[in-house]
Amino acid sequence: MFLSDFRREFYEVIVSQRVLLLVASDVDALCACKILQALFQCDHVQYTLVPVSGWQELETAYLEHKDQFQYFVLINCGANIDLLEILQPEEDNFFFICDTHRPINVVNVYNETQIKLLVKQDDDLEIPAYDDIFRDEEEDEDDSGNESDGSEPLGKRKRFEEDVVERTMKRRQRREWEAHRREILFDYEQYEYHGTSSAMVMFDLAWIMSKDLNDMLWWAIVGLTDQWIQDKITQMKYVTDIGMLQRHVSRHNHRNEDEENSLSIDCMRIAFEYDLRLALYQHWSLYESLCNTSYTSASLKLWSVQGQKRLQELFADMGLPLKQVKQKFNSMDMSLKENLQEMIEESANKFGMKNLRVQTFSIHFGFKNKFLASDIVYATASLMENIEKDEPGTDNFIKALDSLSRNNLDKLHQGLELAKKQLRAIQQTVASCICTNLIISQGPFLYCYLMEGTPDVKLFSKPVSLCLLSKYLLKSFVCSTKNKRCKLLPLIVAAPMDVEQGTVIMVGIPPETESSDKKNFFGRAFEKAAESTNSRTLHNHFDMSIIELKMEDRSKFLDALISLLS
Amino acid sequence: MFGERAVELVRGLHRAADGHLPAFDEDGARRVLEEMKALYEQNQADVNEAKSGRSDLIPTIKFRHCSLLRNRRCVVAYLYDRLLRIRALRWEYGSVLPNDLRFHMSAEEMEWFNQYKKSLATYMRSLGGGEGLDLTQDMKPPKSLYIEVRCLKDHGEFEIDDGTTILLKKNSQHFLPRWKCEQLIRQGVLEHVLS
Repeated sequence: MFLSDFRREFYEVIVSQRVLLLVASDVDALCACKILQALFQCDHVQYTLVPVSGWQELETAYLEHKDQFQYFVLINCGANIDLLEILQPEEDNFFFICDTHRPINVVNVYNETQIKLLVKQDDDLEIPAYDDIFRDEEEDEDDSGNESDGSEPLGKRKRFEEDVVERTMKRRQRREWEAHRREILFDYEQYEYHGTSSAMVMFDLAWIMSKDLNDMLWWAIVGLTDQWIQDKITQMKYVTDIGMLQRHVSRHNHRNEDEENSLSIDCMRIAFEYDLRLALYQHWSLYESLCNTSYTSASLKLWSVQGQKRLQELFADMGLPLKQVKQKFNSMDMSLKENLQEMIEESANKFGMKNLRVQTFSIHFGFKNKFLASDIVYATASLMENIEKDEPGTDNFIKALDSLSRNNLDKLHQGLELAKKQLRAIQQTVASCICTNLIISQGPFLYCYLMEGTPDVKLFSKPVSLCLLSKYLLKSFVCSTKNKRCKLLPLIVAAPMDVEQGTVIMVGIPPETESSDKKNFFGRAFEKAAESTNSRTLHNHFDMSIIELKMEDRSKFLDALISLLS
Repeated sequence: MFGERAVELVRGLHRAADGHLPAFDEDGARRVLEEMKALYEQNQADVNEAKSGRSDLIPTIKFRHCSLLRNRRCVVAYLYDRLLRIRALRWEYGSVLPNDLRFHMSAEEMEWFNQYKKSLATYMRSLGGGEGLDLTQDMKPPKSLYIEVRCLKDHGEFEIDDGTTILLKKNSQHFLPRWKCEQLIRQGVLEHVLS
């Protein structure tokens, strides 16, 4: 069931209890978790935090801890599947679910006792009405009871006929109702999408309780920015949510505008920025950043010789010497940096990049620490999927969690370096895929398989990196292809996941268009295709559009997908 | 000779970092005692001769006597400083010492430690209106009653004072009463997370 008063129905219930936090491994979930942890520390709520990266881990974590806890908080996991069915919990276990995955499973919505959803009601959820999908079984039993009632022998025959008519009527009604139900559920569950960021939901909770801090606000911003960078929400939604956060930002940070009693430089300040959407440019060189940002590299078609020329022209147009743009951004001439954003925007406009600047926030503390929200997202996300050491995923989770606190700057810088590597790897892979025509149109969708032995293929065995790659790939492909029909197609990318076990990870993303609503139908399609071909697949990831399957089943699975979707 | 070994004994202890207990230098101590014995016997012989009129021996006797006194002082200082360190161990490690530390102590020191433990326990039991009070907890007032800890290895189930148990599994994070964790942090099972 949906909770309407989070403070009374959620926080005040758990504040005197011991709570198990189950947190999915994405940046938004980490931020939400950080906010919740800070709240719990204020109120001395004893909790245990367990990272979970997929349904299997969620199940084992639940089984291991179910005897010790009654209250479970799930962050960014659990809403889109019938939780009671997979966990089989005792009656006195309660689940609070704060999840961005949509559509929410209808059983979760209509369970009145154990499942409590922490979801913003103003998201257009379009939940089907209760009567349309659930029906009390008693009705049927009632009329089967009536049968034996016929005691008068005279009327018996007549009654019997009436009964038969009545029953067939009922049966037909029931069939119609079931068909109708299937239709409704199909419409409801067909598309997968994401709702309001969990970090923002948690921040709202903190705000209602007047316990919000600047740090929490920053985490909410990072959570939202993560959704935007992962392309989970529409541009509209991003801008609206940014607007909401901006009000909080000015509420918390107005003291700096006052010249007389301004804060110490060491205090943390958040500022609204209308900044360039170049990845990590303040910690990189302008040149590298332009080359490795998907937006610019796709628009300039940097994988071709002409593209490289266009890049040089762009720099010439901006009036920036190559020597300057190739060195660290920090060390660039101050005189050049003065009007840099306007200058770049103006030149980019001439090259057809209309949206190079975007609303975002930055954080300052101390003299040299300035980060954009997107910097933090890239750094944290790459820490989470660090493949350099063969450590269990939970180690990476902990590192990523740590990098979000301001005390652990070294971890953050480590993350920034990793993120640069990741972006470079993505860019190189995109370039090689496009140059060698690896993206094939399969009719209803585009398909790309990363071969074993491609450089950095190990990186793309991780879901978030693979998703990021596919988004970049599709963007670049749309810019490079001349085929108009292909521009409107969704993309499936597959990469080898575990060579020894012979598994492939496959992700489907919606088409890349201006008006895209970011709704993804691949989740259901994958499920259906797997069912019809008996492929050995595993839906482990919380996003349904990411699937693991056996290498050998790949072709028959794809065939089924093609026939399903065309 | 003439107190050098005794000084060496003290110096050895001084070299060890503060609060660290080096192994009891039995050999060194024995040699100091032997030296003292030799000095004493020589003095005894010379005193007898001095009594019979050889007054030129008196400065030598006085010098030996000074060396004797110095040796004694050094040995006592050595033993006393060790006792202080051993006493600090009780406060730091609790009543059960790690094995390697126990091997560093002599039998007498071990006995002293046990007696100290007993008298401290008796005293702590008598405090707090008959309920007892663990003085070794929170030597300084803690900033908060609960701390955030992270599990560094699989430890299994762990019972906290309200009777509930929690599962300490690698890389899980917990928010627990401070005094319950301290032991485990020392054992390297948990790590205090500062944020």
